[in-house]
Amino acid sequence: METNPRGIPKAPFIENVEDHVTEQEPVEIVLRKFQEAVAKYKFMEVNMLQRKRNLDTKVPEIRKTLEMVQFLQSQAEEDESKEIETLYELNDTLFATAKVKPTGKVNLWLGANVMLEYPVEEAAELLSTKLEAALKTLKNTEEDLEYLRDQITTMEVNTARVYNWDVKQRRLARAKEEATGEE
Amino acid sequence: MRMLEKDEEEGDIQVSWQDQQNINTFSKHNARFQDLEETYEAKKTEKEYLDDLAMELELADEDEPVRYRIGEAFVSLSLEAAQERIAKTQGELDKEIEALKGQMDEAVEKMDELKKVLYARFGNAINLEKD
Repeated sequence: METNPRGIPKAPFIENVEDHVTEQEPVEIVLRKFQEAVAKYKFMEVNMLQRKRNLDTKVPEIRKTLEMVQFLQSQAEEDESKEIETLYELNDTLFATAKVKPTGKVNLWLGANVMLEYPVEEAAELLSTKLEAALKTLKNTEEDLEYLRDQITTMEVNTARVYNWDVKQRRLARAKEEATGEE
Repeated sequence: MRMLEKDEEEGDIQVSWQDQQNINTFSKHNARFQDLEETYEAKKTEKEYLDDLAMELELADEDEPVRYRIGEAFVSLSLEAAQERIAKTQGELDKEIEALKGQMDEAVEKMDELKKVLYARFGNAINLEKD
């Protein structure tokens, strides 16, 4: 089966409704199968949207941290012993003043209650790599979402066409019946 | 906006694989355009705020340090350093806004092309307009 780079299967396109509806697979079954496929795609879409939302908050967070680390870097380059005066958030909406002596080191919160000390340079590098990775995942997720939308549209068109075909068949059959009844 | 409310009476036009692809591409560009528009508006507001801020800082006292937000904390910067940072962010935003505008124009252009093709083929059986 054809898939996209992340292994999402491609929706089949129905060229000719007549070829697709058979004795073994009447319209009802075909339509049910289509509906199942749409449901599966929609489920994947919900997951992907969730992932995108997570990334949408994660990327600015990494950016912010990187910005601060780069600021520390630039300060150290200017003058290695220069103190930085800062207002930091002691608690929600409560700020306190602090004077920070350059140490050349920062602690990065890695998650899961773990914090690690890095030299500023390494921290900047690590954060840049993380940012790049996050942006790449975001791009892939967006691609997957567009792909999923494509597949959903295809399946919806398929459904509409099979349904319309069925309506037409029924109408023809009824017309034929009436014609024979009148004779 | 729903892309395909196919008329019940329309059963005679055969949908080809090419048509299907056109429909999908249209749908894709349409969704993309909406996302872009949202980001574009957000960035534009951000830029406006920054412009206001830059104006405001023109009038600020040169000897007073500016408390500039980096990440979660505020850092005391000289007025000059703060203005430099703002100018840099403004430049970056300008580039982003321009890029977004370009992508939006491209999406609109593609949609217009596809609209012509699809309306020519399906007429009233297809609805590609925003509600």
